[in-house]
This record gives sequence, structure tokens and C-alpha cells, in this order.
Amino acid sequence: MSSSRTELVDVTMPQMGVSVAEGTVVQWRKQVGDQIQADETICEISTDKIDTEVPAPAGGVVAEILVPLEATVAVGVVLARIAPEGAVAASPGPGAPATAGGAAAATNGNSAGAAVAPAVNGAPAPAASTGATGVPRRYSPVVQRIAAAHGIDLERVTGTGRDGRVRKQDVLAFVEAEGATESAAATAPEPPLHIESPYRPDPAAVADGGQLSRMRRQIGEHMKRSLDTAAHCTTWIEVDMSAVEGARAPLGLTALAFVARATTLALREHSSLNAWLEGERYTRHDAVNLGIAVSLGENGLIVPVLKDAHELSVEGLGVRIKDLARRARAGELSPDEVREGTFTITNPGQYGSIMATPIINQPQVGILDLEAVTKRPVVITDAAGNDAIAIRPMTILGLSWDHRALDGAIAAQFLAAVKRHLEAWTAV
Amino acid sequence: MPTLTYLQAISSALRDELRADDRVLVMGEDIGVFGGAFKVTDGFVEEFGTDRVMDTPLAESAIIGTAVGAAVVGMRPVCEMQFADFIACGFDQLVNVAAKMYYRQGLAVPITVRLPSGGGFSGGPFHSQNPEAWFMQSPGIKVLAPATAEDAKGLLHAAIRDPNPVCFMEHKHLYRRIKGEVPAGVYETPMTARVARQGSDLVVIAYGAMVHVALEATEDLDSASVQVLDLRSLVPLDNEAILAAVAECSKVVILDEANTTCAAGAQVAALIAERGFEDLDGPVIRVSTPDVPIPFSPPLEQVVLPSVERVKEACRELLAY
Repeated sequence: MSSSRTELVDVTMPQMGVSVAEGTVVQWRKQVGDQIQADETICEISTDKIDTEVPAPAGGVVAEILVPLEATVAVGVVLARIAPEGAVAASPGPGAPATAGGAAAATNGNSAGAAVAPAVNGAPAPAASTGATGVPRRYSPVVQRIAAAHGIDLERVTGTGRDGRVRKQDVLAFVEAEGATESAAATAPEPPLHIESPYRPDPAAVADGGQLSRMRRQIGEHMKRSLDTAAHCTTWIEVDMSAVEGARAPLGLTALAFVARATTLALREHSSLNAWLEGERYTRHDAVNLGIAVSLGENGLIVPVLKDAHELSVEGLGVRIKDLARRARAGELSPDEVREGTFTITNPGQYGSIMATPIINQPQVGILDLEAVTKRPVVITDAAGNDAIAIRPMTILGLSWDHRALDGAIAAQFLAAVKRHLEAWTAV
Repeated sequence: MPTLTYLQAISSALRDELRADDRVLVMGEDIGVFGGAFKVTDGFVEEFGTDRVMDTPLAESAIIGTAVGAAVVGMRPVCEMQFADFIACGFDQLVNVAAKMYYRQGLAVPITVRLPSGGGFSGGPFHSQNPEAWFMQSPGIKVLAPATAEDAKGLLHAAIRDPNPVCFMEHKHLYRRIKGEVPAGVYETPMTARVARQGSDLVVIAYGAMVHVALEATEDLDSASVQVLDLRSLVPLDNEAILAAVAECSKVVILDEANTTCAAGAQVAALIAERGFEDLDGPVIRVSTPDVPIPFSPPLEQVVLPSVERVKEACRELLAY
């Protein structure tokens, strides 16, 4: 810690996982002069794949911002300094514009030669986030629930309770006055698990002509780099899911968990697909670290990795997939949870699509695509050799593989193994 | 409808049941010739005879034990404890024998134990207790606690006709103080809570005599809209009615006359913490009797029992929160 004034508390670029060395500031939530509570988010940072929030190590007033927006700095670098509650305000300098209601807390803007011009990125921070007495505002469960249901920013609600506390009546009156509508978030359906495909039409330009989000840009870079790197080839196989459909309902699992289990077993038999190809270095893995593509809606997607998936039963896989997907959508994954995948499964079948040509997640050499399971008439042959047409739940599994690492026969053998495990499903 | 006191309503229910059903009998100390310590069964022995209005020895275990045996062979006994406090002597027969008979042997034990309970009249530590929570902790027993004359009659009918052992907590301070219109004839009051007064800013949850304290304390409390929920039945506890009141008001004062620890109100508070959390706009406040014996001394007793003033103070605190 190298604060120029001992009373200031440093906010540093956090270590976000053992292998992360640097991070980029993507948003400042607070500006110089703003009040901040301990553990409140001061800024958002982005590492290789994970966007996360940096909590304030202490409450007080933001005294200095040392790293400008979009700057990438090493772990441990001081991003900002906070004057703790009760500390004497720092020496006067060029005054920052007084924040509404926060005049008493106004600190100097750019002191100690800090090289940042705050408040350039749009909306100013919300007005003082404290009650009438300066005590940080806390909200009761019912107030938070009503606010969430109506998409209300509680900082805008005037409290009439003790010490300016926002009461249920206050938030209800606010709802009535604002005529606030139900937030989309409250009614939005669960986003499905799936991976974006480059073969889909480009999204139509949005009316405001805004730039692609950081996540979209990164996905784009990764996908293009993969297409430029690997010799992509896609092989499909039809699978009768009758056995899986029968086993799935009592366990309360999705077909994805079964496909993940069958894939894991097949990868153990065909380790040439459970591998990395980095330049000319080809590494086969014994352990299966299974990546599962999770859609984050329009924002993009992320591929959390189930480490040592081969040690998990189908029930275990189901639970872990659900947990990773939930945490991925909540932005709670750590960088280490999206690393070291050895194979990836993508599952966009909820909407009835039947085939895709997924792009390999580098440096892996294969990606399996699970689409919709649909009932079809198929020819079946009984033990005596008699043919009949039956209605069966069928799916088409697609495997994109890297022709640099392997050939089509291996890919087909692998798919046949997955098919075999799924069609002759017995709990393993 | 005739206007009856709480005590007359209880007498009326007993008399109606004795007339309607030969299997019903009442038993207790001095309930026959003397008519009962509180005169609930005054005149009963003349109408129904000593076989059905039985004076018993001073032995609560014998009263309840006899009732259990009679119930098992098909009778519907109603036992009177002279004071609720005395049931401690019959505890084993009630919580171990009666309560678990159906679970162990599949035999119904349709007995009703009337428990004149509560303080407020300088009865001291042996004649003022509210032991309802003892029985709430004993699966197999229902626990009822009416606040009004109408409910006292209706719930006593429901208790006598119920196939389970029922502790009927009748608050003796209400016996002659509370009057109300009571429907004639037999009717059963459901074992659910009752909204004693509508309101939306805060709810006071109470039962028995405390319902009246709650109503008086909040009748005109700084023009706030205060709901009073009368639980009426503690087992079964009307969880949905409690949670509905919490959802509507978001602020809760729980009032009971029993000693604080593990009282009925503690169960209500636990329910709200577990299932009503997202509806709360303030801490759940309990007003109850501290964990001390009930004093003889009138001024001390008034300090110990929840008073109108204490309830007002708690409500004002919470309304301002």
C-alpha cells in the first residue's frame, strides 16, 4: 500500500483467480466526491473472460480515481483511494462539482496529481445514498420486494419512517405516483442453455447505433480466431433417446445431463477428442473437464467448466450444470471456473432446432451440439429380425472436430460411442 | 340472539351437548352439587344426574385418566380442571396417555379438558397461569383459546365433537366481563383465526383475553389503521391467516399473556420469520409476560401482565419505524 496520505484507503486491482495477472476497468460506479459504503461496488473490471465488481474496502468518500476507464493494469495496482468516514477531507484542489445532497461530503476532485477526469461516461452517480442522518440506507424485505417487482430505484424514494427510513407506505406511494410498470426482469423466462452460432444472421443494428458490448467483442474475437485456427469439420449422428427419456423424468433431469454423462464416457474411450491442440503441441487429457455453454441472453454466453466431470454420476452432472448455469447468469463465476476445459457441449435445442455446426472452443479439438429431441417415425428391428415403424424420441448430435488433430473415422467412432451409451442407458 | 356472558356461553354449550348426546358427561372437582368453582355447571346435576355430572376426588390424574378410559370405550367426557394450573397433576395422563393413544394404538380419545386459565385478579402463582404452550408441544392434542362468548360456545361444541383430546383454554378473567350475542342451539366454530378488527398499517396477533387488550389499545391509536387477529385456535395454528395478515400489514406485534419463552406467540414469530420474511417492513415485536411467576400483589401483577399501555407503546414504536 502506497497511499500518499495515511488516512486514505487504497482500492486495488483484485487477484481474481490464480492465473489472472491483470484486469481492465470497464466502469466507474462512483466518482470522486461520492459517498460509498464498505463493500459497495466502486467499479467494474474485466479480466480475460469474467466481468466482476470491485467492492470498496472501506466506507467513506471517494477521494481519488487513479486508473482511467478502459485502462488495463496489473493485479495489485491502486485503482482509487477512499477517505474513510470521519477522516478529515483531503487537501483542497480543483473542486469537484458538488453531488446533490452530498455537499457536506464534497472532497477535492483531482488531488495528488491523480490523472483522471471523472464523470465522463454518461449519467452521474445517484444522489446521496444515505438517510437524513447520514446513516447508510437499509431497506426492509417488503420494501425491497416491492421495489424489485416495480423496477424502482429506492434511492429516489423519500422515507418517512424513523431517521428517514423508507417504509412500505413510502414505496407504495412512489409506485402509485410514478405509475411504474412491472419490470421485464420480474417476468422474463429463464434463459436457455445454448451457444451462439456464427451462421445465424448478424443481429440487426440497434436504433441507437451503440457499440458492441465488451463481451460480444470478446466472443467475436474467440470465434473468429477459432475458425482461422482449426480445420473445422462437422459430423452428425442420429440417436434414439427412448432410454434416456424413460430414465430422465424420475430423476428430474434434463437430457443435457445424460448427454454430458455419455460424452464423458465416450471421451474416456477416445481421448484423442479430449485434448488440446496448441500450435503443434497436441495434449491428450485423462481427466474430462467438461465445458457447458450457458447463454446470458443478448449479452452473450459463457462456458463454465465442470472439472473432473468423469467422476460425476448423471445426477451429479445435472446438479452441477444447474448450479454453474445459475451462477453464470448471476455473474458469480470466478475466472478459474471458465478455464481448462478439455471438451465443450452446447445445447440450443429448446427452440426446436435440429442441427448446427458449432465452433470449437480453442484450444480444444471438439465440441458436441445437442439440439431438440423430437418424436419421429423410425424403422426398428426386433430380435427376430422383423422390421417395423415406431415413434421414437430422436435427436441429432453434431460434433465439430479439428481435422488437424484427428480424422473423420475417429469422430464417427466417438459419436457412435456417445450414441451407444445413450441408447442403452443404464444408470452409471 | 340472546346476549350471554363468556361463562354463560360455556355453560350453554355444555348443557346443549349433554342434552343432545348421551355419551357426553362432565367430571371435575365440586362441579356437581356445588356447581363448580366458577358456577359453570350450576344446576347441571339436577337436570342430568350424578352419573353424567360427576364430582371427583382432588386428583387430576384420576380425572383425566378416567376420562381417557371412558373415551376409549365410546364416551365423550368433558373434564374440568378447577384452575388450569392444576393440570400439572394430570399431565402424564394427558400428554403421554391421551395424546399418543391414537398414534400408538389407533384408538381415538375424544376428551375435552376445560382449563380456566389466565390472571388479572390477584390469584397468584398457582391460579393465574397460561399453560397452553405445554400442550402445543405435545403432538396429538388440540388447543383452543376463545376470546368471545360466541366463540367460547362454538369452539366448545367443536371441541366436544372432535375425535382428539382438546385442551379448552377458557380465560377466567373473561367469564363475567365479556358479553356478546350468542346464536341459540348447537354450532361449531371453525378452528381458524378470526380478524377481530380490520386494519392495514400494523397487525396485533393475540388470543384469549389479550384480544380485548389489543382491541382496546389500538382502538384509536394516532388514527393508525391497526388490524387485530384473534388466533382462536393454537393447535391447529392458522398459519395462512397469520401470513395473510403479515402480507397485508407488514408490521406485526404479537401479544400473549403467557410467559415469554416458547409461548404460543414465539411460534407465531418463528412462522413469520420463516415464511413471512419478504412481507416484513419492521422487526416482529412481542409483548408478553416476562419469565416470572405471577405475583399475588395487585400492583406487581399489573406490571407483569401485558397492559393496554404496553401494547400501545409497542405499536407506536413499530408504526414509527
